[in-house]
Amino acid sequence: MTDILEIKGLTKNYGKLKAVSNLNLNVKQGQVYGILGPNGSGKTTTLGMILDVVAPTSGVYNWFGGISPIEARKQIGAILETPCFYPYLTAVQNLRITAHIKESSPNRIDEVLEQVGLSERKHDKFKTYSLGMKQRLSIAAALIANPPVLILDEPTNGLDPQGIAEIRTLIRDIAADGKTILLASHLLDEVQKVCSHFCVLRKGVKLHEGAVNDILGETNEIEISATNLQELTDCMNALDAFDSVTRENGQLVLTTREGITSEQINKHCFEKGITLKKLVTRTKSLEQEFLKILQEK
Amino acid sequence: MIRALKLEWLKIRNYRTFWILLSMYCLALIIICFGGMFFLEYLKSLGADFEGLDPTILPIYDFPDIWQNITYLASFLKILLAFIVIISINNDQSYNTLRQNIIDGISKKEYLLGKILLISSLALVSTVFLFTSGLINGALYSHVWGASFIFDELEFLFAYWYDIVIFCTLAMLLSLIIKKAGFVIIALTLYTFMFEPIVGVIMTEAPFMKNGIWPHVAPFLPIHALNDMIPVPFLKYLFQEIVDNIPIKALIISTGWFVIYLAGITFILNRRDLKA
Repeated sequence: MTDILEIKGLTKNYGKLKAVSNLNLNVKQGQVYGILGPNGSGKTTTLGMILDVVAPTSGVYNWFGGISPIEARKQIGAILETPCFYPYLTAVQNLRITAHIKESSPNRIDEVLEQVGLSERKHDKFKTYSLGMKQRLSIAAALIANPPVLILDEPTNGLDPQGIAEIRTLIRDIAADGKTILLASHLLDEVQKVCSHFCVLRKGVKLHEGAVNDILGETNEIEISATNLQELTDCMNALDAFDSVTRENGQLVLTTREGITSEQINKHCFEKGITLKKLVTRTKSLEQEFLKILQEK
Repeated sequence: MIRALKLEWLKIRNYRTFWILLSMYCLALIIICFGGMFFLEYLKSLGADFEGLDPTILPIYDFPDIWQNITYLASFLKILLAFIVIISINNDQSYNTLRQNIIDGISKKEYLLGKILLISSLALVSTVFLFTSGLINGALYSHVWGASFIFDELEFLFAYWYDIVIFCTLAMLLSLIIKKAGFVIIALTLYTFMFEPIVGVIMTEAPFMKNGIWPHVAPFLPIHALNDMIPVPFLKYLFQEIVDNIPIKALIISTGWFVIYLAGITFILNRRDLKA
């Protein structure tokens, strides 16, 4: 896979404050790459530098193996923080400006507005829009040139739950087309649901980098429950296959020893005449791993 | 070039404030161009006379003097065009669309080019407007007619255009530095019509300065140099001699300031981080 973006030793200092410190990153074609970090960790500054609106103190970046940054930006659909449009222009008029800069055809304006659900309001002025609609318009603007790369900074900021779900579906659909997406977010859940790869930033320093699937996966904890919880507890204690058996919210949480599978537990219960109504292997969440990463460093 | 200019056109095409300001400017131009004869009639009604002459026979609309007369008067209105430029730059900064434009894929150089082309176009519209008004007034009132008179001294129209371009570029630089449109408008207006003229007079007339080098420094002041490009024409009706071409010195000094403004704008655009 070819490198879409290569960042080497990127650093930005604001006086004494190190906003981004010696950052190295490689984003490959087709990845949905999440930059994860708390507020003020340098996510937007990093995106600002690779989009040429913030001057790096030191370090370099290359788009598409090193083409001119201006040409590169025409092939990137990007939104940075809040949506920025002319309030006195309508959605269509604003997108015409974006399409003009990107040297792409204005024919796609209706299509992208349809895609983000703004068709009905497309002839209304931007200043009359709600925050959610503004956010959608900025995503429409990012999509206008049908770019191979998207940069989205907190794309679900300010949206209601339905809007958040729609935008995430949209991002996954776009990723399924083989586009590369760089997504900055402080929402762990968002990165977990959408991204294939991620890195963790804190105070401008990269703490971790890797594939989302590597860090997720199954744990050695199993949740079970049955109608007669006491009988189930006794049965599990008798089995002597667990490090701990604890009752939690009307269910049992088992910490299994090496080699014990959920299948074996199910079989054992069935033989003892207990019918399980729940049997779930707990998976790791990015949240737990994220907190672990932050604690380790 | 065309691309950069079209971007600016897309920004202002549906912007009502722009069209209102431009209409007000054109109206003011019309009043200045066509008001001369009414003004002379008014002077006559007050009983004014110039060494026994009726004011209305002053040949202010005669070719080719008309070009110097109307460009001199109309150049005071350039502040209105500067307001349009200030608002245009200010919008891009306060709506953060300058940053978005760059993210979308223009260079800062192209952004500057777009604004300079916008300024040049506005100046050109104004110049053509003034040229047309001059032709109409000349046709109505001029005592002489013929291509050799009409197209003489057209260099004042060039000076007029150049004056507007440089002044609006100064307005652009100030907008980038000060960022708040209201402050820029007040600062530019006060500086142009009060501070610099007063400083200029002090330099040339104050007893403790007028024998030093100060009177020679005054023509180098930015507004002073711009104003010098079109010399005051009306004295010719009182004294017979008058400068009726563009002083090269003023042209060179103004060009120097133009280069300084452009360098300042480039410096700010390249250096400033465009964070929200």
